This record gives sequence, structure tokens and C-alpha cells, in this order.
Amino acid sequence: MVSQKVTINNPQGLHMRPAGVFAKGMAKFDSDVTINFNGKATNGKSLLNIIGACIKCGSEVEIQCDGADEEEALKTAIEMIESGLGE
Amino acid sequence: MYTGIGASAGIGIGSAVIVKEPSLAYDNKAVSDVDAEKKRLAEALDKCIAKTQAMADDMKERVGEKEAEILEGHVLLLMDPEMTGQMETSIADDKMCAEAAVEKICDYYMQMFSSIDDEMFQQRATDVCDIKTRLLKILLDVEDVDLANVPEGTVLVAEDLTPSMTAGINPKNVTGILTEVGGKTSHSAILARALEIPAVLSIPGITEKISNGDKVVLDGSEGQTYINPDEKLQAEYEQKRVAYLEEKAALAQFVGRETKTADGVKVELCANIGKPEDALKVVECDGEGIGLFRTEFLFMDRPQIPTEEEQFAAYKKVAETLEGKPVIIRTLDVGGDKEIPYLALEKEENPFLGFRAIRLCLKREDLYRPQLKALLRASAYGDIRIMVPMVTCLDELRAVKNMIAELKEELKAEGVAYDENIKVGIMIETPAASLMADVFAKEADFFSIGTNDLTGYTMAVDRGNAEVAYLYSAYNPAVLRSIERVIKAGRAEGIMVGMCGEAAADPLLAPLLISFGMNEFSVSATSILATRKGISLWTKEEADAVAAKAMSLTTEAEVEAYLKSVAKH
Repeated sequence: MVSQKVTINNPQGLHMRPAGVFAKGMAKFDSDVTINFNGKATNGKSLLNIIGACIKCGSEVEIQCDGADEEEALKTAIEMIESGLGE
Repeated sequence: MYTGIGASAGIGIGSAVIVKEPSLAYDNKAVSDVDAEKKRLAEALDKCIAKTQAMADDMKERVGEKEAEILEGHVLLLMDPEMTGQMETSIADDKMCAEAAVEKICDYYMQMFSSIDDEMFQQRATDVCDIKTRLLKILLDVEDVDLANVPEGTVLVAEDLTPSMTAGINPKNVTGILTEVGGKTSHSAILARALEIPAVLSIPGITEKISNGDKVVLDGSEGQTYINPDEKLQAEYEQKRVAYLEEKAALAQFVGRETKTADGVKVELCANIGKPEDALKVVECDGEGIGLFRTEFLFMDRPQIPTEEEQFAAYKKVAETLEGKPVIIRTLDVGGDKEIPYLALEKEENPFLGFRAIRLCLKREDLYRPQLKALLRASAYGDIRIMVPMVTCLDELRAVKNMIAELKEELKAEGVAYDENIKVGIMIETPAASLMADVFAKEADFFSIGTNDLTGYTMAVDRGNAEVAYLYSAYNPAVLRSIERVIKAGRAEGIMVGMCGEAAADPLLAPLLISFGMNEFSVSATSILATRKGISLWTKEEADAVAAKAMSLTTEAEVEAYLKSVAKH
């Protein structure tokens, strides 16, 4: 299992569009992807649960990947978040 | 009369057609063949995804890309592995039928979203509800309501208009929309605006109050609705409808035109915004730039100061949306009257005369430096200009400029891009700044007159106090003299002078501002075309004559009466 902390910079936080981009990107990996935020673990492949986690702009989250392709999944996740998730 | 949210402007008059969803009742009994039931669910999900995608494609073609976005979001939601997994679990563990599993899990997410008090989350609850209905219809093999064939002059009345219903709407036949739920950003609202159908949303119980065939009059600008109005009222609204359409057609001619007087004197016409996402609306409404971007929202409703990174992202987004057009960003303008717990500002007797805006920012460098640095970094992505609020003396402007010079050195050392020639101007909203305008004009790169506060501070009046609110008017000769001297002082030094207060959109004041030589008008996005038209009606010579006369008058009432008597339409 690998993990890394990252800050969300989307002006309105992880709402529908950026969360959709993230969930879709993570669906390609076999590893389980978890977003740890505010003491709660959220399935990083579930758009509904990411939106429901109410992650606001400026929040620090921990991305955790577990599985055969965990290194690559984590690298992709961090790159996607840092480049603004299409916004 | 019933009042709701005016979500799509215009007047609609027609006969009510009530849209009711067919019953989605099902026989809720335990299933014995779990695998067969899971297969039913999987097939329904696949069908639903295909159908929603087809609806999105159709919407994109008929209405627009933005309107299709909600439906594309539904496709993503339908592919959520956690949601579909929970539905399967309900079938396997609780022996639920597919319908019950869909209902249970969708209800869970709707509950989760609707418990958050925020319009964006309410919209997500609506999305999940739409998906639930669509899935149940597929499972139960129920047809969608077909709105393609309603007669001409129909006012649609529904609890909510779902994307599946609106797919077939013909704007030629539908003259209005009324619903019980939905806000300005709901699917119904977006669609109504795109199809230019007047709509009033969120009228509680409206489907019970109206019967099929009732005569309905609705005002989508004001959010009002009348059922079976008398002839007089109906005639009144018929007139309003014609006037609205004429005005709209007249303004449409001004889209894409330069903003200039009748004799060709060009001015810049920009818009005021409060959030980065409003920038797109400015572009859509044909604004030539942003004359005031208030940054307070970035600092409100949060536990700590926004980071430089976060601010940079917001400023960059606006600069990029405007594609090189000017963007004037006002630095933080708060004081003891705003609730910002992490700033720990003391309550004071007179917050509007106290520790606020630039006075606060210069003492709190931890607050100000990250904002200025973020602005400098964002200036590499467009024509960003920095505006300092509530300036009263030259030292304040100099202090800000020094800080900016230091930050530029820092960025240079770090190898980060920024605009070396970024303009730094001031908002003129205090009598002190107005009286010293000739001095400020030598050191500021531009002025923007904030008439709302300038009027308040000049007349020493709190507009919120009903006893004295009558004094709050930009037609007061004192305020007009102040505006005139600021514009002339700025122009004498060759700097840009704009106005971002409400007065900039006042057609009565247009000839005065043109005559004084103002270069830039900044108004709300929805006032852009009307302001462009207002400016185009005057020649410089006519404006000079009106200004000379108006400035010779001695009371507010005389000025207003005179400006009204010479107003052009």
C-alpha cells in the first residue's frame, strides 16, 4: 500500500466535474483507491461518495492506493489533482 | 398571486398543461433467484447509461454543450461502482427486487446530499432522483411523458421538469414553465434560459393549485404567477410581454458592437463579478473586460486564510476566461462588519470608519502578501490589474507599491513568471481620495470610482437607515462634483478612469460621465447591453450641453428632474 498527501486547488472544491474526472481516471486501475479526509475514508472510484465528502478548496487530503498497480495509480492520482482535474 | 424564483426572464401567457409522472409502483416481494435479479439490474443500468448518453448527445445538438453537461454527469453517476455495488448487495443479502434496491440506494444518496445546505448539493440530490426515476421506468417498462406534442400556447406545470421530460420540448408551443422545486441553477432553469422560455420555479404546491386548461400569466423576471387573471391584468401583462420582447430585440443588436457614443467616442464596457465562475457570464454577455472582481468571497466561510496557491488558481482562472481582456482585481475589502473568525477583528463602534480594507491589509502582511503574490503570478496569464480599496492618503498607495516591488524581486529570484508592467490603481470611494485625485493621478495607474461608498461617505449617510436613506443619491450635486473632479484629474494625467458603482449603469448619468471624459464603465453582466445602448444614444456635444446645465443646478431633486427631462430611450 502506498499513500501521499496533496492539496485540492479547485476553486469550488471537489464538486461534480473535477470529482468525475478523478473517479473516471481511477477506474482504469485495479488497485483500491481511497481518499482520506477529515478522518473519513472515501472510495476514490465513487463519484457520489467523493462529492458527498464535501472536500473544499484548500483542503489537504491523503490518497491511498492498494493493489498490483498501486504505484502507478498513486502517481496518476497526484498528477491529476495537481493539474486541476480539468478545471 | 403566487411567488417563486424567477429563473428565466420574460412574460409567459398561456393555458396550463399539468405534467404528471406515471406511477412507478412495483410489487415489493423477496426474490428467490438472486442471480437473475442481479442480471435484471445490470441490464437496466446498461440501458439507462445508453439512454442518458443519447439524451445528452441530443441536448448538445439541440440546445448546447453546457446544458448537456448535467446529463453527462448522470452517465458518470450511473457508472459509480460503489452505488451499483450497494444495489447488488441489497439484492444478494436482503433478497430485494431490483426496483427496491435501486430505490433504497438512490434514496440513501439523495438523503446524504439534501442534508447539506448548499444549492450545488441540492442539485446533486435532484440528479440522483432523476437517475432513480429513469432506472425504475426501465425496470418497470414505463413510457416517458411526451411533451413534444403539447398545443401552442402551453404553460407547462410540473413538480419538476426532469431531463427525460424536457428532451422533446418545442419552444414554439411552450410559452412558460412553472415548477414546485428547483433553483436558478437547476436543470429546468438552465434549459428554460437556453430555450428562452419564461419560467418561475419553486412555487410550493403549484401543481395542486392549477387545473388543466387554466389561464396562466407568469413573469419570469420577477418570479410571479397569476392563475385565471381578470382581463385587465391579462392585458397589462400582454403589454409587458410585447415591451420585453421589443427591448430584448433592440438590445440584441448591440451584441458584438463596440461601445461608443453616437459620434464615435470609444469607451470600455466591463462587468463586476464576485466569484471566478461569474467570469464566463461576462464573456457570454459580451463584456469587454472585468472592471471589478471582488475577492472577499475567497476569504469568507472558511477556517483559515486562503493560501497563495488557492488564490492564484482563482485569479488565473478569471484571467484565462477573459482571454487577454483587462481584469481589475480589487484586493481584500473587509472590516469589523464582516464575520471572518480567523481574522479575529474586534467589533468596533464605526466599522465603516475603522480598521478595514487597505488599512487592515497593510498591518496584516500575513494576509496581504500572499494575495499580492498570487495576483502577480496570475498576471502571467492575462491582463490583470491590481486595485487598492478605500485609499485615503498617498502613503497607503506607496506602501502597496513598495510591497509589490519587493514581491516582484522575490518572484524574479524564484524564476516565476509575472507581468513586470502590471498596473496598480486605486478605488476612489472616499472624499479624501477625491479631493487628492490630482495628486493620486501622478502615482496611480488608474482610478475606478466606487460610487456606492463615495455617495455614502460624501453625504455621511448610511443607506441602510430608512430615516436618512433619502440622502443617499448620486444625483446630489456634492457627489456629482466629486465624480467630475476625479475624472478630470485622472484624464489630465492621462490615466484610465472608470466607474464600478451602480451609477455606471444609470442611463440618466451617462451623458454626464461621457462629458467628463470617463473611459470605462463597469456594470453587472446583465446590464452590459443596456449600458452600451445608453452610451450610443449621445454625441459628445449633446452630453457636454446636458452636463453643463446639470452641474449648474443646486439640489438633488432639480438634477434628477432635469436628467429625466432630457433622457433618451
